[in-house]
Amino acid sequence: MGLEIAASGVQALQVATVALGAPWVSGVIARVEAVVQGRHGPRILQPYYDLIKLFGKESLRPAGAGAIFLIAPFVAFACYLTVPLLIPILTTFGLPLGSMGDILGGAFVLALAAFFVSVAAAETGAPYAQLGASRTTTFSALTEPVLLFVIFTVGLLSGTDLPYKMAETVTSSASQLVRPAHLLASVAMFLVVLVETGRIPVESHRSTNELGMIEHARTLEHSGPYLALLTWGSQMKQMILYALLLNVFVLPWGLASDRAAGSVVWAIVSLLLKCVAVGVVVTAIDNSFSKLRLFKITEFIAAAFLLAVIAVLTLYLGGG
Amino acid sequence: MAALLIIIVIVPLVAGCLAFVVPTRLARLITFVSGLSCLALAVALGVGVHVGPVTFGFLRADALSWVFLVATAFVYATAVTYAIGYQSPASATSYQHRLFAGLNIFGWAMLCAPLVNGLALLWVAIEVTTVVSALLVAVDRTPRASEAAWKYVIIASAGLGIALFATILVYQAGTQVFGESYDLTLTQMIGAGSHLPVAPIRLAFLLAVLGFGTKVGLVPVHTWLPDAHTEAPTPVSAMLSGSLLAVSAYAVLRYVQICRPVLGAEFTGAVLMIFGVISLLVAAFSIMLQRDLKRLLAYSSIEHMGIVCLGISFGTPLALAGVLLHVLAHAAAKGNAFYGAGVVMHAYGTKDIDRIHGGLDVLPWTAPLFVCTIFALCGMPPFGMVRSEFMIIAGSVGSTTRIVAIVVLLGSTVAFLGLARVVTRTMFLTASVAGAVDAPSPRRGEPSAWMVAPMLAGLAVLVVLGLHPPAALTDLLSQAAGELM
Amino acid sequence: MGPDGAPSVLNGTVDTIAVVVLLAEFAMLRSTLLRSQIRLYAAQSFVVAVLAAVLAFADNSYELLILAALSIGLKVIAVPVVMSRTVRRAGADVAGAGSLRAASSALIALVAAGFGFFAVGRLGLQAHGLSPTVLAVAGAIIMVAFVLMTVRTDVVSQSVGFFSLENGVSVASLVVAAGMPLILEVAFLFDLLVAVVVFGVLIRVHHAEQGSLSTSDITALRG
Repeated sequence: MGLEIAASGVQALQVATVALGAPWVSGVIARVEAVVQGRHGPRILQPYYDLIKLFGKESLRPAGAGAIFLIAPFVAFACYLTVPLLIPILTTFGLPLGSMGDILGGAFVLALAAFFVSVAAAETGAPYAQLGASRTTTFSALTEPVLLFVIFTVGLLSGTDLPYKMAETVTSSASQLVRPAHLLASVAMFLVVLVETGRIPVESHRSTNELGMIEHARTLEHSGPYLALLTWGSQMKQMILYALLLNVFVLPWGLASDRAAGSVVWAIVSLLLKCVAVGVVVTAIDNSFSKLRLFKITEFIAAAFLLAVIAVLTLYLGGG
Repeated sequence: MAALLIIIVIVPLVAGCLAFVVPTRLARLITFVSGLSCLALAVALGVGVHVGPVTFGFLRADALSWVFLVATAFVYATAVTYAIGYQSPASATSYQHRLFAGLNIFGWAMLCAPLVNGLALLWVAIEVTTVVSALLVAVDRTPRASEAAWKYVIIASAGLGIALFATILVYQAGTQVFGESYDLTLTQMIGAGSHLPVAPIRLAFLLAVLGFGTKVGLVPVHTWLPDAHTEAPTPVSAMLSGSLLAVSAYAVLRYVQICRPVLGAEFTGAVLMIFGVISLLVAAFSIMLQRDLKRLLAYSSIEHMGIVCLGISFGTPLALAGVLLHVLAHAAAKGNAFYGAGVVMHAYGTKDIDRIHGGLDVLPWTAPLFVCTIFALCGMPPFGMVRSEFMIIAGSVGSTTRIVAIVVLLGSTVAFLGLARVVTRTMFLTASVAGAVDAPSPRRGEPSAWMVAPMLAGLAVLVVLGLHPPAALTDLLSQAAGELM
Repeated sequence: MGPDGAPSVLNGTVDTIAVVVLLAEFAMLRSTLLRSQIRLYAAQSFVVAVLAAVLAFADNSYELLILAALSIGLKVIAVPVVMSRTVRRAGADVAGAGSLRAASSALIALVAAGFGFFAVGRLGLQAHGLSPTVLAVAGAIIMVAFVLMTVRTDVVSQSVGFFSLENGVSVASLVVAAGMPLILEVAFLFDLLVAVVVFGVLIRVHHAEQGSLSTSDITALRG
């Protein structure tokens, strides 16, 4: 088709894809998981129905919780709407607002969202929410070095820390694929994604096992529209992280290289399919391993750190 | 001449394999014959080596390897003689089989090492000596022996792993000169001279000194040595101290020979000097603290290996000839010392210095020989070590390091103090004078003539080396020193 | 280092395989069960054989293929079988924590790996058109194997540490000394086999005399 979409339109489409596609991705992953386990499972569109239902419910606030309890869901949601502007979701070229921040900026905005949600949970005074908040903060602090080393690797490999350039570098030739630095950084990033999205072996999302919950415990006190925003936000975060992993490291193909409507539509479709593929892998891990004990999670993160450090090391002598 | 090489390499191996299966009396005889014949062949090889290197296939003997070959063969011959007296025919058959077969195979591996023509084969030979000697250290099957054997095999194997890495690096360096695929023979590498690239050779040299130095007993990687040499049966201890340390030093010498033209005498000298000085001082001061007779001798071996390293580091022909003479004299002296200590322990039933008194009264032959040997180890005339140490120190005059010569003298003096103290207390002082109440007082008399004969031979060698070494020997020593330059 | 700085496909593959060997070394440091350590060693040896095969195809050298096959036969099959039999006879399962906790030993291993990596990598040795990285990774593997031998306090872990040290040297030799005559490489392999047998005997002796596989109690010989 000869139809071209304006650059700002493509950018808006990026945000819309993530916002509207994230619940769908979650639904598909839940369905796949159920099928693998031999159940029928929920409808694929169930997350949408859940969100609509939650928006219509009343919301309660614990006594003594201040303003942050109320504004945190909005801040988090706003952050999760901002990050898709910065990272390659649909295109291989930079979009107008894309140079607002580099990959480090994107990581900062994600951390900001997590920070607000954790503070809101800490404010409530409820034991499990506080438990979740403190655990999340600790583990985020531990995954920061890993993330930084992964970002360094990206920077060293592509010569810049704009995530768009990285996708370009990886797709340029076969030799880029088998670089140990690239492979190691991808694996390290995948492990970080597992930690940040709260999947096995870090956290079990299947039940409300409060003693083992890390991230999911933070939202226990919110209700109604606030809970809807938080849930939607975490689904968007999952899709953002998957998109980051895919479009910067693992499968950067399928992105639109121009603004033609056909390629943009194809980019949206391929993104959703790729996210589902990552979800299938995560589900496979879900069903193969058991949750790690809490103190073993640091060893898990240490393994990811090791991979990231070795990725940087191998770059130093020209062989990475 | 080449036939001699082949026979030396085959005989001990055959003897070892036979000793496993034949009855024990026959095994003893075979071992004894093997030891003596290897010694005779090794000495005879000197004639051929004087003319030029003798080669056959992957075997090669030049003057340098001949020195170490003779030292090893001498210790092998005396050790098997001693073992016949040490191990009474009445003890367990399986133990005797293991001991005698092990002695032969250990001797075989140590005889092969100076004779192989190639760095990779040299590494393989030394690795074989490590594993065989580890089994021999543990042959007594006591808890302490198993502890010593395990420590030995782990530390020595780790060191040899580093040495293997060094060999690979030398190979890589050689590919610049010889192409991708070549045999890593000594003739090739020595001939390459200064054409080899500096960077890999430098790292290879450091790793080789550290790796093979683990087996030589250089501080700080010497921690296995006192334990292994103490807990092994006496003939094995003699072979370990007298010849295995020397053969490992031979490996270091080959690396010095190959790397010195590339790296320069200062660098190689400095590296060896650091190790030598530290080994000498640590060992000398440790000698003062020992309570165990064999452990004392083990530290004395470390001290002498330190002196050998220092001699190599000086790099002058006189010092190098002194080093080679020192190797020969040390082989004879340390073997003797261990045999004497073994007889003393056998008579008194203990290794503890504080409980052994009045040796001269109890052992009419061994004690005087032991006293003479200990003084020989300290560098007293007229024994061979004073000549070799003098040559080493005199050889340092040419190079820049006067203070190191002073360190050598200091170390030797401290070691002398320690050894003399022990000798006085155990041999000269009687129990009543020493004030020991419950010390064992054994019957007067020698346990076995087989155990005294090697000591006589060793002492004779020391006296000859000290008073007037035969001209042929000094010629070969200078020839070997010249090859190293 | 921009997008043009990527190494060739062969170089990248070889580097990746070497890094996998290094990761197996770290995993050995972390694992406590003796059985899993032996299995990790078998896996690591298999990866080294794969490296030999890759280089054989790159060079069209059948010698390296023979070497790869021999390594598999010896290091992936024979050595683990001997070690497992020894462990089974001794009846022990867990290795014990070693003299340091897991976190400290992992950090020390990382520092050691970095030291080995840069110390060897600085030489800038190249062969086959490969970059110096692989040799540097081999240096890192050797250093981590040393840490493994030092930190662990049981005889089986120490032996596996020594065997993996030899794996590290094999990686180095495959890269810089690939032309070494086959007979020498075979000599090294058989030497390793002899060492394994002797280690097995000594472990059995140790177990018989000390009653356990631990080396933390052998302090009788001091000074």
